Amino acid sequence: MSLFKATEKNGVTTGASALSLRNIKITFGDLVAVDNVSFDIQEREVVGLIGENGAGKSTLLKILAGVYKPDSGTIELSGEAKKFKGPQDSLDAGIGIVHQEQSLFTNLSIAENLEFVSGGSSKSGTIFKPFNWVKANKNAALALGKVGSKLDPRTRVGDLSFIDRQMVEIAKAMKVSTAKVSNPIIILDEPTSLLEVHETEALEREIAKIKDLGSVIFVSHRLDEVMRVCDRIIVLRDGKLVAIKDRDDVNQQELFQLMMGHEKKSQPRSYQRKHQGDTPKVELREVGKKGEFRGVNLKLVAGEITAIIGTNGSGREDLCKAIYGVKSFDTGTMLIDGKEINHWNVQRAIESGFGLVPAERKVEGLIGGLSAADNISLIFNDDVKNGFLINPKKNLAIAKEWFEELDIRPRAPQKELEKFSGGNQQKAVLAKWLKSKELSVLILDHPLRGLDPGAAETVNSLIRKAAAEDTAVLLLGDTMEEVLDIADQISVMKDGEVTGSFDLHVDHPSTLDLLEKMV
Amino acid sequence: MTQLTSNLIAPKFDVKKAWKIFGPFAIFAILFVIVIIRNSNFLSGGGLGVATQVSAPILMVALSQSLVLNIGSIDLSNAALSLLGAIILAVSLPRLGVSAPVFILILTTLFGAVNGALVAYTRAPSFALTLGTLGIFQTASLVVSKATSVYVDNNDSYLGHLNNNTILTIPLIFYVGVLLAILLWAFLKYTTIGRSMTAVGLNETGSVFAGLRIKRIKILAFAISGLVSGVAGITIISQSGSASPNGLGSDLLLPGIAAAIVGGTSILGGVTNPINVVFGSLIISMIPITTTALGVNAQAQSLIYGFAVIVVAAFTLSHARKNIVK
Amino acid sequence: MKSAKCHSLRKGRKEENMSQVSASEKAKLSDSKFEASTLKAAAKKNALIKSLTEPAALIGVVIILCVVFSLINARFYGIVNIRTILEQAAIPLILAVGSTLVILIGSIDLSIEGVMGASAMSFVLLTANTRNPHDHGDVAVLAGIATGAVFGFASGYILTKFKVPSFVVTLGMWFVGQGFATMLYGDTATPYMTNSRVSGWSPRLTFGLPNAFWAALIVVVLGFLLLNFTKLGRSAMAIGNNESIAKTTGLNIDRVKISIFTFAGALTGIAGIIGAIQLGSGSPDVGKGSLFVSVPAVVIGGTALAGGRGGVLRTILGVFLLTILNDGLIVAGVSANYQSGVAGLILIAAIIFALWSRRDKLGVAK
Repeated sequence: MSLFKATEKNGVTTGASALSLRNIKITFGDLVAVDNVSFDIQEREVVGLIGENGAGKSTLLKILAGVYKPDSGTIELSGEAKKFKGPQDSLDAGIGIVHQEQSLFTNLSIAENLEFVSGGSSKSGTIFKPFNWVKANKNAALALGKVGSKLDPRTRVGDLSFIDRQMVEIAKAMKVSTAKVSNPIIILDEPTSLLEVHETEALEREIAKIKDLGSVIFVSHRLDEVMRVCDRIIVLRDGKLVAIKDRDDVNQQELFQLMMGHEKKSQPRSYQRKHQGDTPKVELREVGKKGEFRGVNLKLVAGEITAIIGTNGSGREDLCKAIYGVKSFDTGTMLIDGKEINHWNVQRAIESGFGLVPAERKVEGLIGGLSAADNISLIFNDDVKNGFLINPKKNLAIAKEWFEELDIRPRAPQKELEKFSGGNQQKAVLAKWLKSKELSVLILDHPLRGLDPGAAETVNSLIRKAAAEDTAVLLLGDTMEEVLDIADQISVMKDGEVTGSFDLHVDHPSTLDLLEKMV
Repeated sequence: MTQLTSNLIAPKFDVKKAWKIFGPFAIFAILFVIVIIRNSNFLSGGGLGVATQVSAPILMVALSQSLVLNIGSIDLSNAALSLLGAIILAVSLPRLGVSAPVFILILTTLFGAVNGALVAYTRAPSFALTLGTLGIFQTASLVVSKATSVYVDNNDSYLGHLNNNTILTIPLIFYVGVLLAILLWAFLKYTTIGRSMTAVGLNETGSVFAGLRIKRIKILAFAISGLVSGVAGITIISQSGSASPNGLGSDLLLPGIAAAIVGGTSILGGVTNPINVVFGSLIISMIPITTTALGVNAQAQSLIYGFAVIVVAAFTLSHARKNIVK
Repeated sequence: MKSAKCHSLRKGRKEENMSQVSASEKAKLSDSKFEASTLKAAAKKNALIKSLTEPAALIGVVIILCVVFSLINARFYGIVNIRTILEQAAIPLILAVGSTLVILIGSIDLSIEGVMGASAMSFVLLTANTRNPHDHGDVAVLAGIATGAVFGFASGYILTKFKVPSFVVTLGMWFVGQGFATMLYGDTATPYMTNSRVSGWSPRLTFGLPNAFWAALIVVVLGFLLLNFTKLGRSAMAIGNNESIAKTTGLNIDRVKISIFTFAGALTGIAGIIGAIQLGSGSPDVGKGSLFVSVPAVVIGGTALAGGRGGVLRTILGVFLLTILNDGLIVAGVSANYQSGVAGLILIAAIIFALWSRRDKLGVAK
């Protein structure tokens, strides 16, 4: 690990680090999410934390926030060892996190939101106390002033712009941390993902101010931002800390390399493409949805697997939902078999042969309380129907066939689908789509999430099989490796736009090429 | 809940499942036995007939409610709709004769569909919307009946046969209710539409993603519920030969809901068994009989309904424990 | 006073027009890509205007009603009728304050009719009455309020500790309250209140207005203070806005909910007592039909059923709108039979209008 930069306070180098992590390790089942991570953060510095999806950033943050307890390792704050039994302990120790999701009450004023910050609300009797507006407003003004905001504490949060709300969030996190500690640690988790360009610049200026009050950990997938804002940058990969670099000692290319590790190249595709040159099954021209994605051009060809990768805020998940008809496009056109589509919804999508395996399996992908057999026959159920009636024997029989085909266990299709394990649930969800001969477009949103390796393997082979049978597949993958193996086309999205497209029969991008477009 | 891969299906005696299927019948049986023990004249004195007679209108209203509960909504207006149906039936019998009941059923189905459309299109909480239609139906009842009882005169009293004719001392109208329950059970279990309703009640988001036509399904559920409410109205007429805004049938809302819940219908949606609702309504009608047989104050029955609703709901809502409950 | 209200009515209309203009402005803006900040500013202005128009529009409707009914029958604006309206509004006001608080945390209280009956019976049987020799005066009042509070507490407790949805719990409590009241009523003669000072309290004038109204006013003030000036009230607003965030702030959500339900229960108790006084006797049906005025009043007043938006003052507008409407219709010669229907129609209309502005939210409402 590289040497840390000693900071100066009034010309004197302070001794203990503001935050010191040693050998932090946490394992979930077989997965080592954070693997022996150690680093120091000093007072008055902004440290960036970068890494790919799954590198361990969010797990590490959760450990700092007291949500997870590390299996081993120590945390020291200003020289004092700390053990967090829960989020309250982390707050008491002076660590405040500004999460991606906003945590403010939109119907209340800034002052009230800041009053609600933990610190004794759970003690008995306090809720019957009168609410001292004068004091609340005063405290809020102080807290806002500290982070350099001139907002009126009486303003209703719901009326504030996003960046103003972010400032309030930061003030809130500061208030929490400064309550008991002289050097608070403020963690900003992707604070700019929803901001416009001019707003991010404003936020960056604010972060520079906060630096004077404590230490900042800045997590972002936008490397240019990280390089502008941070004094030092920590790179995580596969749960391990691979580098700590001073901002001045490193450039973006090096950061890419560090984030990615061994550069992997895609293998030339050996099989023939059957439908190259045909009218694409689905074509998107300049489609957009306000606040999610814009100007997207995409072609889905029958028999080919098109993958979209991207990090947080890329908009690809929303794009999938819009293609499937659950959401709508604001701008642009979609063509199916070359014909422009005017009015699109889920029913029309299904009739046109579209299927979606959603990321939120339990809520969007299946009906937990229904049996596996019922889930499988929920769509395309002519085979189990006689007119309006469901033939229960056929229902079970067809389900059993699919259970065999996909090796779904236990072999009990009459059981409620919520009682099956994740991998088996996903297979049942796939069975629902694969069984139809009319399936022409299959969209999969993070299909391998939460699956054990065996189930993941099966799902991957099913995806390949679907493509082999001329279905156009759109795949949102979790990792670049996964996608480089299986896709025919790869599009990269970042912050709502397509930043790069690769045809794997012609180009041979490596993980570096992809990563450059993602961050 | 997560089972690692196992080929074996370990057959455990699933208490919850057994309770779901046999619970209501078990409770009814217990009450029945208590009454017979305490009152040896119960059966010979026609007690069973009285119990089933009282439970018939409750059963209809409960079935109507359970269809709505099944899609995850609630209908506070269905009892008022039944009463309105009864009043309009009484008023129209002289003019329409035998086609009057058909007319009523069409009317209540339509009104039910209106409720469904409101719920489906406004996406507002169903209890609020149906509270509104409750008021409208109440006013309609008062206006049509001119705030007084409407009697069915002897020429048109053929409907009374449904109540007065009995098989095994149980009035025909009760058998009609049981038949209706069986039909609804088959509908929910064996038709695609019925299953879709259950799906919507279990997981509306998942149903959207599965391409189910949510609005249509909700309107249809409310419409069928309206139809059954119409049958409840016919029941009222057959039992009392008259309809009044304050008489028989004016207090069916709470017993109907209680019967549906005690009969195993889940408030959250997606779980209902119309056949068990039959036992639920029998339980509700047996409660005053049982309390009398046990010497408990007859006025306590409302109290017991209330406890029954809360207790059954508390114990059957285990899966709600993780979510935020409002 | 009327001219001031006329002015705000005109202002309300003008602001409605303004919001239409910004809507078309907004439409033009959406063509350009990602003019997010400009859109946000326009939306902010829109929201501000919208929140102004709601109460203003309500006040406007109330004024129109007053004018129309006065024209139909001059008796309407006579002092006698005004006093009648105020006395009639008392119970709905008290109930509606309680319902507002419960709805603000995202729950609903369907039990009020039963709890009113139970409280009324508790009160009557402890005050001077024809059935028993008790005459405990103020203690009887306390007993009535306590009855309501206990029911409220029970509802809140079962909601929070057993995770039973509020509309099931309070539906059950409706039964239980009614049952309790029926048991107290028994099968003997109706217990009438014998102390005419007590039974005549409601319409008796103090400073020119009926006592019942003053009681309601005090309750309204209490409710307003509770909601806006105590930690409990602000916590309730927070929970109604976003309960999952509230959990993370360390708020004792269960305690807040139970307190709100208990307070609402106590208010229901007060309403039950006043109902008994107005009736002159004890009856389990003292509250019959109250659900019909309180819930619509709250919704019409602008408190959202989902929670987190609205308040006591808005509810007052809703109550007055309904009370004036009901009273006016009677004075105009319309049968009382139409009251529930009218309330129902207005409730549905109010819900639809309130949701119309938020219909783009992909929400699942049960």
